[in-house]
Amino acid sequence: MTVAGTLAERQAAFMRAILDDDAPLPSGWGNSHALGLSVYRGNYRNALMSSLESSFERTGRYVGEELFRTARINHLIKNPPSHWTIDAAGAGFDQTCAELFTDNPEVAELAWLESAMLELASAPDCSALTPQDFAEASAGFGDAEWLGLSVKFQPRSKARLVGHDMTDLWKSLDEDGAPANLIAFAQEQGCVVWREGERPTFVMIDGDTARAFTAMQEGAHYGDLITLLAGDQPDDAAIAGAAQRAGGMLGVWLSEGMITALEA
Amino acid sequence: MAETHHPIAPFGGFGLGLRRTHYDDFLGAQKVPVDFVEVISENYMVDGGRQLRILEEVRERYPVILHGVSMSIGTAGGLDTDYLAKLKALAERIEPLWVSDHLCWTRTSAHNSHDLLPLPLTTEALDAVCANITQAQDTLGRAMLFENPSSYLTFPEDEMAEWEFLSEMARRTGCHLLLDVNNIYVGSQNHGFSAQDYLAGLPLERVRQIHLAGHEPASKDRPVIIDTHDREVSDPVWALYSKAMRMIEQPVATMIERDENIPPLTDLLRELDRARDAAPAIEVV
Repeated sequence: MTVAGTLAERQAAFMRAILDDDAPLPSGWGNSHALGLSVYRGNYRNALMSSLESSFERTGRYVGEELFRTARINHLIKNPPSHWTIDAAGAGFDQTCAELFTDNPEVAELAWLESAMLELASAPDCSALTPQDFAEASAGFGDAEWLGLSVKFQPRSKARLVGHDMTDLWKSLDEDGAPANLIAFAQEQGCVVWREGERPTFVMIDGDTARAFTAMQEGAHYGDLITLLAGDQPDDAAIAGAAQRAGGMLGVWLSEGMITALEA
Repeated sequence: MAETHHPIAPFGGFGLGLRRTHYDDFLGAQKVPVDFVEVISENYMVDGGRQLRILEEVRERYPVILHGVSMSIGTAGGLDTDYLAKLKALAERIEPLWVSDHLCWTRTSAHNSHDLLPLPLTTEALDAVCANITQAQDTLGRAMLFENPSSYLTFPEDEMAEWEFLSEMARRTGCHLLLDVNNIYVGSQNHGFSAQDYLAGLPLERVRQIHLAGHEPASKDRPVIIDTHDREVSDPVWALYSKAMRMIEQPVATMIERDENIPPLTDLLRELDRARDAAPAIEVV
């Protein structure tokens, strides 16, 4: 039987019919094809819904089964997957949550954190630079080297500002966790996600340190960091204070094992 | 035969799919009585982390087969080169017995279904599949295995039987076959062909591996059998397996595939013993 369209066109029509219940059946298809198509539609939806369920277990526990199901369906309709790995289907789920749970911004923050932890689990393995490594590497630094210093953080580590304390919330959403009180911050704080050995982890930090982390990750030098921390019209004291704070941040990042290399 | 890569030597034995719930069993002090394990390639096509380290440790103890679900060998627009590069890196790292995927398509240029979608059995589709297999084998630098799919519909434009498609595909590309006996059974029931004709029509000398899995029977509301991998292998599939093993002359690697409702390892090993009993005596290579 001759049917209309090339293989590519017919595959595109098949895909449209899987993604959208209202899409017309490919030409030449009848009732028996509709029955088969319903199996493929079911497989597609089940696989993706299950993938999002396992990627965002805590978010699911927090919002409850029904709302979580609605959020996953919404996300998949707006973001049909295009990547070969099904793990990528969760990309942007925090944004979906931000749009759906406008009165509960902690939901999007939690979804972001789960996604960041998952991405880190399969990030490239690397060795952290120890404080001793750093001391040896920077022993001969003059002012120019210090101001031009940039650091390399663990691959896929990241920071963002959040309005709620994620630490207790995260623990409370363990399978056997006890309920926690949600603590909202008066001012946004930072949440940094990185890996200790093979284990993804996170820590709550102040907002300035989170901004500094992101700036350095995006290529800012140590001198830029001091300028950022010193404010708009800094005097000598402000600059000295900023340098001290920047040094403190660098110390924390090193001691936590977040930095993998220096570039002076 | 347009064979540009070394043929894959037959390997006889009995194995299981490596699933996360059984990691501790496979890394424990006592060796699991299997001749190989098969892993889903995409689960390990990552840059690092625990999962990849575990696979490397398992590989030190057992031969490993890489079995993919996302190559989309039937996509009309050609293969995803990023995917191929990551698969090649994994194969070089793990040095598997072989690399396999399915005769199906999973994506268009715009979207990915993450399901094994059926191909029309046409000359146009055959040409596309053969071009893609050649690209994949050339990139990986090795011959591959492709598995006959389960399917829930056939196409009005079909020009040949599935076994004829597979035969020509193997002849033109030099690839080998992964024979999923459950899929043959599911297809024969859903589409009304003879499983015996299917086996008889294949170039069985190209078979290197056999999959056995469970399926969900048809029901009044849904008159198609579904390949679910969530339960034990059914009796008709065991019977077909015995028949296939008597028709195949070279050693092959047989495994039980279980992806859902995964039981304790001892249950799967018991099922694998049934495969050993059902097969004629073979030399484990």
